[in-house]
This record gives sequence, structure tokens and C-alpha cells, in this order.
Amino acid sequence: MKCEEVEKLMIDYLDKNLKEDIRLEIEKHIETCEKCLDDLRDSQQVLNFISTDQMVKPDDSLRINFYHMLHSEIKKNEESNDSSFAKAIIPWYNLRHYRIAAAVALLICGTFIGILLHAGLSNSYASNELKQLHSEVSDLKKASMFTMLKEESSSDRIQAVRYADDLDSPDPNVIDVLVKTLNNDKNVNVRMAAAYALSRFADRRAVCDSLVKSLALQNDPILQVTLINILVERKEKSALRPIQAIIANKKTLKEVRAVAENSLRVLI
Amino acid sequence: MSEIQDEIIMQHVKDGNLSEMSELFERYNVKLYNYFLKLTRNRLISQDLTQNLFYRMIRYKNSYKNEYSVKAWIYQMARNLHIDYCKEEKRSEALFLNTDTYPVDISDEIDGFPEDDYEKLERSFAALNNEQRELIILSRYQGLKYEEISHIVNQSVPAIKVAIHRAIKQLRGIYFKQI
Repeated sequence: MKCEEVEKLMIDYLDKNLKEDIRLEIEKHIETCEKCLDDLRDSQQVLNFISTDQMVKPDDSLRINFYHMLHSEIKKNEESNDSSFAKAIIPWYNLRHYRIAAAVALLICGTFIGILLHAGLSNSYASNELKQLHSEVSDLKKASMFTMLKEESSSDRIQAVRYADDLDSPDPNVIDVLVKTLNNDKNVNVRMAAAYALSRFADRRAVCDSLVKSLALQNDPILQVTLINILVERKEKSALRPIQAIIANKKTLKEVRAVAENSLRVLI
Repeated sequence: MSEIQDEIIMQHVKDGNLSEMSELFERYNVKLYNYFLKLTRNRLISQDLTQNLFYRMIRYKNSYKNEYSVKAWIYQMARNLHIDYCKEEKRSEALFLNTDTYPVDISDEIDGFPEDDYEKLERSFAALNNEQRELIILSRYQGLKYEEISHIVNQSVPAIKVAIHRAIKQLRGIYFKQI
């Protein structure tokens, strides 16, 4: 057997995947060929190293998030079975783009009515109608937001978070969803968008507390810096503790630590 | 008695019994997490990708067509996810700080053999090209059969064998040159 042939069969030889006669031929060859014997030993050692490589255990949050996701998928599945009749008669029922289009159409209607009102039709009946329309648009945006946050594409989810920006005074449900997105979304850009959306409502005690809590959870450097900045701008004293924890954490990136240390000067 | 085959579980999932997905999660989550970890060398990203993969498995359960093993289907999806991630990463690089190079010490939990050897292997590993690295990960770290890999990367078994052989040869060359 020639050296090239031995080289080609080497891995199968080491994996013991060769027939007896071929195996013996290789062994006969390496008795006399030092180079092939060396190569074989080296390959063996590399393969040994690889096979002793130990798997790293993922963080517990992987399992928690998986079961959370599975649970909501099962629920969604049951709901869609319930409404399959509605889907059959209105095929576009579930298309989110249609919903968004409807929201936009309503908005245009609203603006149009607004112009009409401005032209002198300001009786109380019409202004009630306008209020109602306005709240319908808000509701639609809210619905779009909830639907789109479940989308897999991160740009869709960012868009969803931006809908919250259009709401003047989001209800606790919206805030709750934003906080969950900030803490759990798998994409850092979506989490960032949620942080900015929430920062607009940081006057509310509950929102501010959530941001402080979130700062203790985040380990992405961009988010840490963003949250620190938002909280420092508000001179939020309760942020002191998580900021000190970040400074104390050995794994903190030095740029983040610098920002954190600077922020202490403002807060203390 | 041996455990229930992945294929049977997956069929149940396709029939609408989503809760059985938990069995596949328990069987594969650590492996897949480590698959991504070897490719990205970043814990957080690997966790996100693993999370996302199981989401896709549920969402696109009907794309599993019984024609091949569930394992090959899962890794094919994992591979695509990683490719998508790389593309997205390239796009967002200009917009955000590159957190990808944020050093993550992954050797601290490895106690299989002396850290020096491990680091050396990691460094040699980094010198391989993407395709070679992928094949070594699938074949040697994840223990997939050549037939399964063939299905995942869409290449013939002999071509894969040659490529793996070359990769090992190169790995061996780099590794022992470092001594």
C-alpha cells in the first residue's frame, strides 16, 4: 500500500471502520514507514482531544424560556383551532399586514374627519366620535404590537415595539409586554428598542422600577450602558445598587465599568 | 427497551401534540447549544440561537417530511440559523459595537484535559476555514454519521469524507507545529 492510500484511510482506520484485510495492509505499511506512523499518531491524538472535549451546560434560562415558549405555542394552537371557522370565511383574518393596513385606513379616516371638524363641525357629538376613532386606532396599534412581537424576525419585533411609541398613555398590559421584551427578547436590538420605548414612560414609578430591575438582569454591554444612561438622566437613586453590582462584577466590560463609575458621581 | 425514536415523537408533534416537543428539547438542547458555541464562541448568542431553533422547529414542524432522520432535519435548521445569524451580524456590525468579539471565557468549565492543550486545540481549530470547521463539529464533536452530514450540507458522502480527512490533516499540522 502506498502512503497516499494510507493517508486517505487513516480516519476510517482510527475509527475502526475498515475491513480486516485493509487494516492489516495499513499495519504492514506503518511497520516500515515512519512518516505514516507519525501522522497516524498525530491524528489519533487530535481525535482523542476532540473526543474528550466536554459539552458546556447552557444556562437554566434556556430551559425556562423554552417551556414558556412551548406553553404559549400550545395555547395559540388551541385558540387557532377554535377560530378556524372564522378563518375559513375570512381568509385574510390572520394576516397582520391586513390589520396594519386597516389601522392606517382608520388613521386616514380619522384625519379626514378631523379636518372636517376643523371646518366648523365642532359639536359634541362629532368630538365624541373623534375620541372614539382615536381610541380605536390606539387599540389596533396595540393589537398589532402584541401580534407582531410574536414574529420570529427581529425587525418585525422592533416595528412592534415602535407601535408603543405612538401610544400616548399605554395601559399596564402594554408596559408589561415591553418590560418582558426588554428582559427576555433574544435579539439585543429588540431589547434596545424596548428600553427606549419604556424610557418615555419612566415618570411612572412602576416603569422606572422595572428599568432598575432590568439593569440587574442585563449582561449585554450596550443595554447596560443604555439603561444606566436612562436612569442617570432621571437621577434615579434606586439604580445605585445595580450599578454598583455592575462595577463589582469581574466580567463587566471596561467601557461599561467606566460609564457606571461616571454615573455614580451624578447619583451620589 | 430502547427509547422512543425521534421520528415517532416528531410525527406526534406534527399531528398537533406540541407538548411532545419537550422530549426533543431534553434530548438535543445541550448538544445544539454546544454546536452553536463551537461556531460562535459566544454563550449568549449560542443560547439565543438554540432558543430560536426550537421555536422554528415548532413553527415549521410541517417542513419535516419523514424522508430523513429528525436529527438531520434539526441540524440542517441549526446550520441555516447560524448562516442567517452571520449575515445579520455583518449587516448590524456597522450600526452597533461589535459585541461578538467580547471575550467570553469558555475554557473555565472544561476539565477534560490540561487547559493549555485545550487552548491550543481551540487556536488550531480557529485556523481552519468555515467549511472545515463545520464538518469537524458535525462529525467529531456532535457525532453525526457521514450520511446525516451529507443530507445537512448537501454534499456526497465521499466528498465529505475527503474534506474531513483534509481538515484533520490540517488540524494535526497546525496543532503539532505549535509545540
